[in-house]
Amino acid sequence: MMEWMKQHPATIVGLILWAIGILWMMPDRKAGKARPKIPGLLFTAVGLVIFCLSSGRSHSEFADDVMFWVFGIGALMSGVLMITARNPVYAALWFALATLSTCGLFLLQSAPFLAAATIIVYAGAVIVTFLFVIMLAQQSGAAGYDQRSGQSLLATVSAFVLLGALALTLQSEKIDVVRPVVKEIPVAQAANASGSSAAISAPVLTIDDEPTEPLPAEAGNMLSKADADHKVGDLKGLGRSLFGDYLFAVELAGTLLLIASIGAIAIAPRREQGAL
Amino acid sequence: MTPEEQRFLLVGAGLFVLGAIGFLTRRNLILMFLSAELMLHGVSLTLVTFGRMHQTNEGQAFTIFTLTVAACEAGLALSLVLSLYRKSHSLDIQLWSELRESDMAGPDLASSGDRSGLPSSYENIPTLTPAGIAPRNPPPISTSNATASTKT
Repeated sequence: MMEWMKQHPATIVGLILWAIGILWMMPDRKAGKARPKIPGLLFTAVGLVIFCLSSGRSHSEFADDVMFWVFGIGALMSGVLMITARNPVYAALWFALATLSTCGLFLLQSAPFLAAATIIVYAGAVIVTFLFVIMLAQQSGAAGYDQRSGQSLLATVSAFVLLGALALTLQSEKIDVVRPVVKEIPVAQAANASGSSAAISAPVLTIDDEPTEPLPAEAGNMLSKADADHKVGDLKGLGRSLFGDYLFAVELAGTLLLIASIGAIAIAPRREQGAL
Repeated sequence: MTPEEQRFLLVGAGLFVLGAIGFLTRRNLILMFLSAELMLHGVSLTLVTFGRMHQTNEGQAFTIFTLTVAACEAGLALSLVLSLYRKSHSLDIQLWSELRESDMAGPDLASSGDRSGLPSSYENIPTLTPAGIAPRNPPPISTSNATASTKT
């Protein structure tokens, strides 16, 4: 699917424009006040034309750009709208949209498994949050504490100073990234170099007499490195990394989940008769 | 760092900062929780970008752990929200600004203005045990300090 999306950006643009046109022409909630049809028709027409003309084209760079801008601006805009929403129901909706946009960015960064896992986890989280909002916040109508914010000037200014500092650092410093060349790592060499952890992937070890060349300093966890067989974000490679290099951490995470569930059950109030 | 990686990192930083603003300014408990999740999204995006930059899977493995911690946090936060709501029948965080040790100074609420909606005392609120050794001369119990007044 990703390959298709990269190869046919114009198709996507056409589809999106088409959908916007349809949405524009939908009947509004307020009966009687209809929107002018012309922009909707225009959107639909342009979208259809692009969609029809686009078959067979491929512009990978352009597709990446378009999808980055759509998802990035979508994530940031829905974040802004989330933290400024007066109604917590809308805030939860905007949070869901921000999560979806972040998952799109994950896809662009070749992390399809993470995108799927995030959507699955946060679908549950958002639904539960919705239940809470409806159950708790909507009982007494619009609450005063949602209408005004505390210390908003101080918080916004300091947070944007932080963002400015981050942007300055990211854009001005020449950060040297040691870019490893993705190549085949000889199994025996990897096993010799990194000891027992690589032995999981190499059950049959061949010991060669030549001394192995020293590995670069950034090669810490051999099982996490991408090579020709396991590209970054490959499900196989990710599983190798999780259950090879980070096996102990996975066990710890499972224990953390267990403890958190026990704690949540202990903290949650007992239900009385007729109470919430 | 290529410009492409740079802009992904910038979006991650932007998400983090937006979440921070929401966490600091909003007074709804559930919205504060959602803002913390937004901050986690920003961090996850940055981790994934770093992993791609270095051609390892470590960034994505870390993000999976972040996801795990976020799930734990969601469970604990929502049960805390529920129990706090049972006590105060409101999601306002400022109702809990008096939840502190009895000898600490109260928060400065002068800039935010309204203290009219806050009840002066609560019932059935757990009081914090003072940390460390009790001071020799305990401070006089003020009437506005509900946490101290409910404590015998």
